[in-house]
Amino acid sequence: MKEKTLDTISWKWWLKNLFTNKNSLYTIIAIIVTLIIIGVLNKTLDNYQIRILNLCAIYIILALSMNLINGFVGLFSLGHAGFMAVGAYTCALLTMSPEVKQMNFFLKPMVPWLANVQVSFPTGVLMAGIMAALAGAIIGAPVLRLKDDYLAIATLGFAEIIRIVFTNLQSITNGALGLKGLPNTVNVWWTWGIAIATIIFMILLIHGSYGKAFKAIREDEIAAEAMGIGLFKHKMMAFIIGSFFAGIGGALLGHLMGTIDPLMFRFLLTFNIVLIVVFGGIGSITGNVIAAVIVTIMMEVLRVLDGRMDFGFIEIQGIPGLRMVVFSIMLMAVILFWQRGLMGTKEFSWAWLKRVSRRMVFRTKDC
Amino acid sequence: MAILRTDNITMKFGGLTAVSNLKINLEENQIVGLIGPNGAGKTTAFNMITGVYLPTEGKVFYKDMDITRKKPHEITQFGIARTFQNIRLFKELTVLDNVFVANHLRLKSNWVSSVIKTPRYITKEKEMHIKSLELLEKVGLIHVKDEDSYSLPYGMQRRLEIARALATDPKVLLLDEPAAGMNPQESQDLMGFIARIRDDFNLTILMIEHHMQVVMGVCEKIYVLDYGITIAEGNPFEIQNNQKVIEAYLGVD
Repeated sequence: MKEKTLDTISWKWWLKNLFTNKNSLYTIIAIIVTLIIIGVLNKTLDNYQIRILNLCAIYIILALSMNLINGFVGLFSLGHAGFMAVGAYTCALLTMSPEVKQMNFFLKPMVPWLANVQVSFPTGVLMAGIMAALAGAIIGAPVLRLKDDYLAIATLGFAEIIRIVFTNLQSITNGALGLKGLPNTVNVWWTWGIAIATIIFMILLIHGSYGKAFKAIREDEIAAEAMGIGLFKHKMMAFIIGSFFAGIGGALLGHLMGTIDPLMFRFLLTFNIVLIVVFGGIGSITGNVIAAVIVTIMMEVLRVLDGRMDFGFIEIQGIPGLRMVVFSIMLMAVILFWQRGLMGTKEFSWAWLKRVSRRMVFRTKDC
Repeated sequence: MAILRTDNITMKFGGLTAVSNLKINLEENQIVGLIGPNGAGKTTAFNMITGVYLPTEGKVFYKDMDITRKKPHEITQFGIARTFQNIRLFKELTVLDNVFVANHLRLKSNWVSSVIKTPRYITKEKEMHIKSLELLEKVGLIHVKDEDSYSLPYGMQRRLEIARALATDPKVLLLDEPAAGMNPQESQDLMGFIARIRDDFNLTILMIEHHMQVVMGVCEKIYVLDYGITIAEGNPFEIQNNQKVIEAYLGVD
């Protein structure tokens, strides 16, 4: 009884701390500012640009979820597309209305226990995360005993297995035909809201005791184990949390596209996320957020290269795929000059900002 | 009562017997040495005690509890910590975080409370932080607490490894060549340091060491291994005058 009262008092203190602590106050202000900017962008941009804005947020979620597994715990996992598929299908099947489902399943009727289910979008997204986490737990239990490249191959294999299973479960997933007409519920508030929540979650997790234990495992497994950190438990934990967010990212991506099919979740999708993570710095949340935005926007901006270009003296009839060539060259340049990605393992922090701004002020005073 | 006891542990790698029938008996608060020429099986013995290897035969007991088949992290949780011959620090973590993360095993909160920062978790984290700082103070590394651990000079890295092992709240500390690569003065300091932490933390220490000065100076009991076989045990004086030991180290005519 006594302990309970103590706890409630501490919770009050906790809340007070949230608003009086300078750094958390800055963070709250930064979040509000970000949301205002997004609100303004949402009003001023056209549909195509808003779609890219949404994609940025989704890639932030996906990159951070992969970064937790690959960057912080140092597990070389390439199974992301599989978990995204689980998430995307779960959310799609749960949120589509019975009528739309009936229209989709014209080759083979849908299993009755799913055909009449319809839940709200938030529930669907949450379920997507949970199902992906479950898939992560089932796959993680055997494969997390492997290391390095072996783990990469095993996870890659499992992701393909998920895709093949989905292609063949005609009465549940509609197989290769895919699902069309997903409810058009995704907007910038959903994507960016979840993206910001993911960023905060990852920062809190990584700065806590468990995050440090993850990093210790990345640095030296043998030493980490000798310091009493259970390898399997912590690896599973990170893998499951990572798959959870991958599932949510997949669900959002599916709803943004409006249509999903198993071919969407090929290895190429995983590769796109690996690219963002490597580009931003393996093990840096800040780097990944920046890279997710840059890469997503660049992918669209460079689309010009695929079309017809007229330089006046020479005219190029569109070469499809040229944009990927240019993109690869850019990536190579980044890796050449910043071996460890844009940020390495460094992070943005308010203390860092203070240091830098103070230095700037002093420099201008000197001049 | 023996705090740590190995009952005829044997380790075979294929046809090679790295350690055979090793019997170690550690009494509480003792400092015990494990010596022998290169390849005698000393580190293998350590790996068997700490659960890295499963002994082919024999058993390891900690306070009369059989820990032979336990995982390394469980053994650390019971209270047996170790350092490594080739330093294994968490390189990209700061000196403070290296020690902090070794407290993690005593954290009772789950990961959810570490994310939402429940009051109980915050209190515990603060405790861990203060304890880590105290430990760094004790081993004289407080002035470099924010440096990356790989940037430290060699001697400091060794001390940091010991501090990190101490952070797990051990009862028994296994040191694998703590004086390796140290000059005579540093080794001298290390002897004092080991004796001091034994008293401060109420430890029992088992150490592998090549520096005879260190071993003879600080150990109360010594085991000598040669090709996996225990050729002698006793106090430093007995070991120094043991014919077999002299032969193992210097060879026979």
